[in-house]
Amino acid sequence: MNMQAGIKLTAAEAALVDTYNEQLGDLPGDGATLLARDTLLSDLKKAGLPTRRIEAWHYTDLKALLRAVPAFVLGADAGRVDPIVPGSAVLSVVNGKAHARVMQEGITVRSYGEALLDGSAAGDLVARDSDDVIGRINGSFVRDGLSIDFEDGLVVESPVEIQSVQNCGQVNTRFPVRFGAGSKATVIERHLAVGKEAALVTSVTDVTLADGAEVTWIIFQSEGEADTHLAQFKAELGANARLRLYVINAGGKLVRQEIDVAVTGEGSDLTLRGINLLGGESHTDVTFNVGHDVAHTTSTEVIRNVVFDRARGVFQGQIRVAQDAQKTDAKMSCNTLLLSDDAEFSAKPELEIFADDVQCGHGATVIDIDHTQLFYLMARGVPENKARAMLVNAFVAEIVEELEDETLVEALEGVISDWLETHA
Amino acid sequence: MPAVQETIDQVRLIDVDQYKYGFETTIEMEKAPKGLSEDIIRFISAKKNEPEWMLAWRLEAYQRWLTLEEPTWARVDYPKIDFNDLYYYAAPKNQSGPMSIDDVDPEILKTYEKLGIPLREQEILAGVKTSKIAVDAVFDSVSVVTTFKEELKKAGVIFMSISEAIREYPELVKKYLGTVVPTTDNFYATLNSAVFTDGSFVFVPKGVRCPMELSTYFRINEKNTGQFERTLIIAEEGAYVSYLEGCTAPQRDENQLHAAVVELVALDDAEIKYSTVQNWYPGDKEGKGGIYNFVTKRGDCRGKNSKISWTQVETGSAITWKYPSCILRGDGSRGEFYSIAVSNGHQQIDSGTKMIHLGKNTSSRIISKGIAAGVSQNTYRGQVSTHRKAENARNFTQCDSLLIGDRCGAHTVPYIEARNASAQFEHEATTSKISEDQLFYCLQRGIPEEAAIALIVNGFVKEVIQELPMEFAVEAQKLISISLEGSVG
Repeated sequence: MNMQAGIKLTAAEAALVDTYNEQLGDLPGDGATLLARDTLLSDLKKAGLPTRRIEAWHYTDLKALLRAVPAFVLGADAGRVDPIVPGSAVLSVVNGKAHARVMQEGITVRSYGEALLDGSAAGDLVARDSDDVIGRINGSFVRDGLSIDFEDGLVVESPVEIQSVQNCGQVNTRFPVRFGAGSKATVIERHLAVGKEAALVTSVTDVTLADGAEVTWIIFQSEGEADTHLAQFKAELGANARLRLYVINAGGKLVRQEIDVAVTGEGSDLTLRGINLLGGESHTDVTFNVGHDVAHTTSTEVIRNVVFDRARGVFQGQIRVAQDAQKTDAKMSCNTLLLSDDAEFSAKPELEIFADDVQCGHGATVIDIDHTQLFYLMARGVPENKARAMLVNAFVAEIVEELEDETLVEALEGVISDWLETHA
Repeated sequence: MPAVQETIDQVRLIDVDQYKYGFETTIEMEKAPKGLSEDIIRFISAKKNEPEWMLAWRLEAYQRWLTLEEPTWARVDYPKIDFNDLYYYAAPKNQSGPMSIDDVDPEILKTYEKLGIPLREQEILAGVKTSKIAVDAVFDSVSVVTTFKEELKKAGVIFMSISEAIREYPELVKKYLGTVVPTTDNFYATLNSAVFTDGSFVFVPKGVRCPMELSTYFRINEKNTGQFERTLIIAEEGAYVSYLEGCTAPQRDENQLHAAVVELVALDDAEIKYSTVQNWYPGDKEGKGGIYNFVTKRGDCRGKNSKISWTQVETGSAITWKYPSCILRGDGSRGEFYSIAVSNGHQQIDSGTKMIHLGKNTSSRIISKGIAAGVSQNTYRGQVSTHRKAENARNFTQCDSLLIGDRCGAHTVPYIEARNASAQFEHEATTSKISEDQLFYCLQRGIPEEAAIALIVNGFVKEVIQELPMEFAVEAQKLISISLEGSVG
């Protein structure tokens, strides 16, 4: 917006600009890469961080919420943790530094830092549109990440866990991942913190599913109580491709997870399941966009939110159906349990439809725990806090159970119960 | 499923080229000079013999308006309006306010006759089948006739043009005007505050149930004029009033602006029912001409257990930007919004409601049905919010839309904001979910599918139509048979 031009920078905005100037000689890549970074930063400086006047950021006034940016710490140690699902192949990213390694045959992993250095990643460093502040910040500062390729027809039995562990400072990563035609795999993208000090994490994942690929992708975010986590997940689905995307937020102080899916291949399907476990003074925003661009595609989205304490949650979801996308079947629902009078949840489930022969719908509810259910449990001798935890657990576990893989279900139920035990 | 033939036929009946009210009345008019300035505002105020405080109020709004920017967030697209290229005041010569029906220019009476609006009390009485309706007829910038004033007065109900009310009941107007939609509210409301010319004023005192339906009929006739009406309705403790507005305009190639403000105030246990049949000229097949309907309507449930209900049937206007809202301030208050919006040709609708829950135990209900045809764009935009202290707030929202043809668009943009753990909000935009059950029960009883769908759809649409006063439901009747089949959320 023009009114922001020339406006004084906030402390966080100024810190971002300063950090960039300090790191300039140090960021991987020159030539086209550097030019792309410069453009993104100068746009960021010009537009500033978005306020609620920008519709895409209506419920997350980043300018007001992002008060400070922690300094960049080179070589901060973070270490590794056990994968969520035992037996997963782990790809480790420690404080933003990726460790590419040889995987089973058919999976090629390459350091993204190298792609930045040799200039082949320069084309990635562009903002989606003028509201894409995450793309701008990440593109300006990205140092590393992993490019992963699953070859055509490859079937991977056990999950691959991309484990990004951070400990304070700034972490900016990118993960371009391609799933070949007819390949099948489960990937867990995990972001977690080991330290208590504040960190600013930005991460952009860019996934392509070639025709007929079947992928389960799980994002599990458990950053620290002081951390800011700004992430994007982008996907493009080829013909008859199936993407099952689970997004679980269970940490962070200020979180924005953007999800952008282009359903571009006929017969493709997106299943999105979101679980937001919100507590403390955190602010968590999941902003989702799906575009159905061709005929005969389907998508279903179910988002379950549990909000404790003084936490604030946001879900913005948009289903777009293009004129040619006849016979689209899309359904979105967003259900929230508000468990404290100081908790807040705002939802904006949007439909934008240009085709006349489609079935689209959305539903949104905000409720409290069912008091009769609570009563029945307590009447059977279950103490109140436990009874509540059981009901809350049931509310979110329901959608985890849709995953048929038992070890995966067990592992995710485990992390959810752990969170509820410490927060409920 | 695509729309069924019956629906397509019904929508065609009200397509833009079927507009029946596009005639023009030739009559000598008196206009203010073109443009907007403090002098024009002084001119309007002087024409209306307004007290000094009213002029000051207008001028303050004007100063404020100069600092505001036109809103751009709505999903509508139109060339920039030159606010200095409009006439802000146009009145039939020799008529600067309402007068006895015998003195009104016969041309004007003919106009209302053609529109089917009864202005002669005895005529209305002759048609004994229907109950009585009091009408305030607004022609461009002035109210020309208000019927049944005397009879209403006996019941203690004040029903007159707002210009008269400002002169005759300044204390009442002063107490309530701008308390629901402040002069600072938004670009168009602020503009309206500065230049409003006429509109209706209704005051229903404590414990009175208004003995008849009240209605205002707005007609834009003159070229290049904007109509800026202002309506204020107050229902005191325990009062009840049902009010209906209708609107039409001649067929012209240019766009005309209509920026109204409607304020409703319901005190303890009062109920206001506000219905609109909006049928402004929608423009022609190519999208030429038509009214820009940029309206701010808001009701304040100020008292305990008060109730405000909005019902709208929207078929006209080139562009509609309108969100009749309820502020549920009083404990136990209730807000309702029922809407059918049909867009054809190049029409653009961005309409919906706001339910703002502030008091305890408040509830609201939203039922909206949008139908888009031609190359039109039809957006539902609605907000439901609770304040932190608004315990036990309840909302139920259902909005459905239907597309006819593949060159139009239907959009739903709900904003749901919960700040209290005891809030219960349900937003439902899937027709299939509800009708699947209903359909099943019908089929199980041996009703064939087509008939079952018609049954369910009629039942649903009637929910909106039946909220309209009987006398006017006829106007909306043709929409009743529109099928919801194949609708999208």
